[in-house]
Amino acid sequence: MLSVAILAELREAVGVDGLITERNQLQTYECDGLAVLRSLPAAVVLPRSTAQLQAVVSLCARHVIPFVGRGAGTGLSGGALPDDRGIVISFARMTQILNTDIPNQRITVEAGVINAHVTQRVAATGHFYAPDPSSQTVCTIGGNVAENSGGAHCLKYGFTTTHVLELEVVLPTGNVVHLGSPTLDAPGYDLAGVFVGSEGTLGVASSMTLRIVRRPETVQVLLAAFDSIAAAGQTVSDIIAASILPAAMEIMDRLSIQAAEAAVHPHYPECEALLLVELDGPAAEVNLHMEQVRALCKGNGAWEDRLAQSEQERLLVWKGRKAAFAAAGRLSPDYIVQDGVIPRTKLPVVLDEIAAMAAATGLRVSNVFHAGDGNLHPLVLYDRSIAGQEEIAIDLSMRILHLCVDHGGSITGEHGVGREKQQAMGYMYSEPDLDTMQRVRCSFDPENIANPDKLFPRPRLCGEKTGKYTPHPLETAGVAEFF
Amino acid sequence: MTGASANMQDLATPLVALTGADYVRVLHDAVAVAPATSEELAAVLLFAHKNHLTVVPSGGGTKQGWGHRVTPAIVLETHRLNKVREHTWQDMTCTVEAGCTWASMQAALAQHGQHVGLDPLWPDRATVGGIVATNDSGALRLRYGGLRDLIIGMTIVLADGTVAKTGGKVVKNVAGYDLHKLMIGAFGTLGVVTSVNFRLHSIPQCTQNFTVSAASAEPLGKLLLALLHGQLCTLAIQLRGSGAGFALDIRLASLAEVLRTQAPLLAELAQREGLTALPAEEEVWLAREQLFARDFACKGTMLPSRIARFAERVRAVGGESVTQASGIMTAGFAASAGERLSQLRAELEAARGSLMVLKQPAETNLDCWGTPPDSLPLMREVKRRFDPEGVLNPGRFLGGI
Repeated sequence: MLSVAILAELREAVGVDGLITERNQLQTYECDGLAVLRSLPAAVVLPRSTAQLQAVVSLCARHVIPFVGRGAGTGLSGGALPDDRGIVISFARMTQILNTDIPNQRITVEAGVINAHVTQRVAATGHFYAPDPSSQTVCTIGGNVAENSGGAHCLKYGFTTTHVLELEVVLPTGNVVHLGSPTLDAPGYDLAGVFVGSEGTLGVASSMTLRIVRRPETVQVLLAAFDSIAAAGQTVSDIIAASILPAAMEIMDRLSIQAAEAAVHPHYPECEALLLVELDGPAAEVNLHMEQVRALCKGNGAWEDRLAQSEQERLLVWKGRKAAFAAAGRLSPDYIVQDGVIPRTKLPVVLDEIAAMAAATGLRVSNVFHAGDGNLHPLVLYDRSIAGQEEIAIDLSMRILHLCVDHGGSITGEHGVGREKQQAMGYMYSEPDLDTMQRVRCSFDPENIANPDKLFPRPRLCGEKTGKYTPHPLETAGVAEFF
Repeated sequence: MTGASANMQDLATPLVALTGADYVRVLHDAVAVAPATSEELAAVLLFAHKNHLTVVPSGGGTKQGWGHRVTPAIVLETHRLNKVREHTWQDMTCTVEAGCTWASMQAALAQHGQHVGLDPLWPDRATVGGIVATNDSGALRLRYGGLRDLIIGMTIVLADGTVAKTGGKVVKNVAGYDLHKLMIGAFGTLGVVTSVNFRLHSIPQCTQNFTVSAASAEPLGKLLLALLHGQLCTLAIQLRGSGAGFALDIRLASLAEVLRTQAPLLAELAQREGLTALPAEEEVWLAREQLFARDFACKGTMLPSRIARFAERVRAVGGESVTQASGIMTAGFAASAGERLSQLRAELEAARGSLMVLKQPAETNLDCWGTPPDSLPLMREVKRRFDPEGVLNPGRFLGGI
């Protein structure tokens, strides 16, 4: 509970209509897209400007109150989960597009602007904003920056971090600073590069200058049906080996095809594995590459390959793919979406192991993945009403992440660590790696109030020594002293 | 403590214990040490950290003059860390040690038709570590991005001997902070990079070079913007400017059949500005290196729409320039231009850009970095947390970091 005096200060900062303290209204903010974790915040504020935002964060700094920024709350790892002693800062009222610079292919927006609105603003001149998370029609740029969001097209176009040039950030101390620059290679440390994807643990961004991209001359989408995921996976490797860089390459398995079909009727062929390849660029190049891609699909046993014949058909193909998570609800009352990454060539072996692990638990796992960059989205299907099944599902999904790390990959490709995968961070990184990240964290947030108890394996205060000490090999060998 | 005040022989003895006598050399006022592994390198840094000894990491030495001068007690050489450790060509990634020269890395990757899509200065001598520390890039940046877009992981050693890994070996990965971005362009002030994981691209099958010349930069600037907004397969674009006039170099890359259709389209675009696109030699892309023969060499940054204007400004001060389409200029000037560089810097900064002085005559004393950003206090705090004793390249970076 916040004191009356603090509430009065907050009201002063954001106005009467910018402060929420009623329990039933606070419930809107108790979770993000990872709805299994819930916690009621002490208050929610809705600033309208950087000045109001700064006033709120300064107040948090003075009184050492935890805070977390929140865009649309679509995050899938519990990154926007409130602290029950803390404040949620909603960006719902910071939705201005501040500047559009078409000649230089840049746009400056406030953090609450919706991802798809950026593309809408620049579409008339033939441009688009490339990062396209599946939630792009509702999620905000501020949230994308916090999570370093990806999407199907980052195979060719890169992630949010590739497209962020400059950030206006309110630091956890209450200071406003600018990280990066509208021009490249600003002198100094690349703090914008560290801030993007820091999941709200280094402060909150109020506005950002983004790169926009010219729309390609031609876009073509091919759907190819295979009898096995291994054959579809091999085709992905063959396409890459042929020096073709598609805009996107996605694979869906039988279960997820069924779910998507039931939800949005994208008219996918019924098969064990569906490969979706999007090529874009100059028409002459796309045509030639598409011929090669079709030949590679046939060579790997594709029994149907279908080119979307119109823009409408193409969008429908993508609608089906982007609905895949939500559609899982048609297969099972509950499900966990995971987000592991593996080196592309490990696809067949990892998928076999996942299938074996799932079979051993008796749970079904459906698979949708960004095959081009090895980003798996296994959906662990379960029924919460059956006693013990949720625990089994959570355990299975964590073991899948460990499997990804064991094969040289990562625990998250685009959803973030948040609260959900904190412990898995300790599986992926060793103590010195995490301690080095903590040095950055403490530089930005010495009081540990910016989205605390997220991302790192356990809350650790600045200056605190690592819990368990592991001697360095050189130390054991007597070559060096304490590291 | 710097080398001048230490007894070099006394300094060498403990270092010999860490790396062996063959890899420690006593110089005039410093000791050079060449560790073989990240762990040996960590032991050297820990020793320096405990004894407050200034360390200057050194690769090929091609850019040691960049940034403010530092007098080391220990020169930390990376030439024994020179292997391409892994090239998983099917996954299009590789792991390379920091002391490997750029050219030898690229030669190894080319065996499978792949490369790191970056064209830095002096690739035969410059090492991966030095290129990362200075965030160098050439005209290929247009297609592939800079080091921050190409590096997916690193091994770094901090001043206190902590050996840390950041990122990983997969291209898509958002677990934890992107610490490797912090090391890129940090001039070795936060830690020493010992190995780098890159994402790779296929070497284009077919490329063609063209040059469009003009007496003034303006029409070339228009053509440059038209290309940035157009649909040609441009791999690289640069604007060269000197007393003799201006030239826009364009490199197209695609399949041979496609290039046959693109060349006429380029000619047409040039025609619209009243210009002619002529075939050009590969050598035009080395123009940037020649600017370092001048008394002053600078790196300027600007928005693409200002490239032509600033190329004209450089010429007006008697300088020569090569500017990538992404807005990064390399410029060379005669000693007489010194006074006017501050004015040029002010103009660039007013346009949200910057001017870094990379090389200057011994008798001048221009600030290398220009006006620091409002995030300087935060940068100082990061430095303090990473290198509390200030042993790594102290004073070399902006704001005295």
